[in-house]
Amino acid sequence: MQRVLGAALVLAATVAQAQSPETLGWLRKMYDATQSLSYSGTFVYQNDGRTETSRITRYVDPAGDIEKLEVMDGVPREIVRNRDTVRCYLPNSRVVKVDRRAERGFPALLPERIHALARHYDISLGETRRIAGFDCQAVVLQPKDNLRYGYRLYADVGSGMLMRADTVDTAGRNVEQFTFTQLSLGNVTREMVRPRHAVKDWRIENAEAAPARLAGWGLASELPGFHKVTELKRRLGESRAAGQMVYSDGLAAVSVFIEPLEGRREPVQRGLASMGAIHIYTREVANHIITVVGEAPAVSVQRIADAVEFRRPQQE
Amino acid sequence: MKDRISALMDGELDDKSAAAAIEALESDAEARDTWRTYHVISDALGKSRMLSEGFSERVGAALAKEPTVLAPRRRPAGEPRRWVALAAGVAAVSLVGWLGFAPQQIAVAPVAQAPTKSSPQEARPAVVPLPSGTNDYLLAHQGFSPRVSLQGMAPYVRTVSERGQEARR
Repeated sequence: MQRVLGAALVLAATVAQAQSPETLGWLRKMYDATQSLSYSGTFVYQNDGRTETSRITRYVDPAGDIEKLEVMDGVPREIVRNRDTVRCYLPNSRVVKVDRRAERGFPALLPERIHALARHYDISLGETRRIAGFDCQAVVLQPKDNLRYGYRLYADVGSGMLMRADTVDTAGRNVEQFTFTQLSLGNVTREMVRPRHAVKDWRIENAEAAPARLAGWGLASELPGFHKVTELKRRLGESRAAGQMVYSDGLAAVSVFIEPLEGRREPVQRGLASMGAIHIYTREVANHIITVVGEAPAVSVQRIADAVEFRRPQQE
Repeated sequence: MKDRISALMDGELDDKSAAAAIEALESDAEARDTWRTYHVISDALGKSRMLSEGFSERVGAALAKEPTVLAPRRRPAGEPRRWVALAAGVAAVSLVGWLGFAPQQIAVAPVAQAPTKSSPQEARPAVVPLPSGTNDYLLAHQGFSPRVSLQGMAPYVRTVSERGQEARR
């Protein structure tokens, strides 16, 4: 009897310990490190048995931080991000994709929202482990339902830098992993985050985006825990007009893209496509192509897609 | 009844008697008490291990996956081990139910979290290749992922890691 009671107490203690200020403090620490540190390092990205190595460099500057990502394997690609613009350089096809935001900054997991994550995840401390020479503490986010993935985040005990991030599905499989294999903090110059390419006669694909109301479009019902974060009009690829609605539970995000079917060159393939933790679901609604993209389980992406509806604004 | 429960626990009943015993467990509160008591005794004797971390979640998930297991109809004879698993399932349900009387917090029994709209019922979508503009969608999407605030722009690697899509253009 005592034993079972003991187990019950352990269980109670575990429940109480989850979401403790200390645990949330670790998420806060990761956030602060990501916002405030200059660093350069090499990380490996893995999904579906594919492995890719990239270099990442972050330069902190009062005038605005700049970050650069270079993919070292396969087709060369380079992405540079500053406060309001992301540029993606594709040297082989001589294309630069420019994603510019009218609004200031990028939506973030703000520190004051970290505690709200506890509504959808049980957050607890996991193992400690050495990664790329750094002693790391794992923070485990266990989803409370099957609509989101679980995460295992390893933060450097000293700096709070996120050294490894595993995304775990409901069956406990790793669907995606980011791991630093080398990292040095500080000593980053402005020169190191400059794009490598001169883009003089490259094709520029401008994807401007600005907040706007997409009249008539919405979800018949929201997915539990996922709330609308923003709604915008934008350009996609070679300047196609599109609407975008973004839903998030505070950690995972799902975007709904809405494009007119008219004038589309390629046939639409309805259904579900997957790439690691990312799922993409395509369907048609009211003469528009709906493409739902998110780092969430297939069931969530599909349910959001199935809920997309158009109601003539005047009939409302 | 008591020795049948004991035999059930030890996996010694044949299919028919096991089914009867389990039915009794479902309907008879006294039988369930006996079941619990025997397990507590068995625990006290050190026959089974402590609940491991995530035990109830796993049981909850397993039960959610096998909703029919509590009402098996016909099955070829001679598989007593199955019943042991089934009995363990009942034990888990009883245990979780029982723990519900312990301090409030424990009442968050994961069994209640069995997916409301379980996937088997959900229409299976057609599986298609990634759309041709996948990178554009990912690039447009990624900036809104809160992950970026914890991880810098590393998640952007997804944006472009697609095999050779750009090279084809």
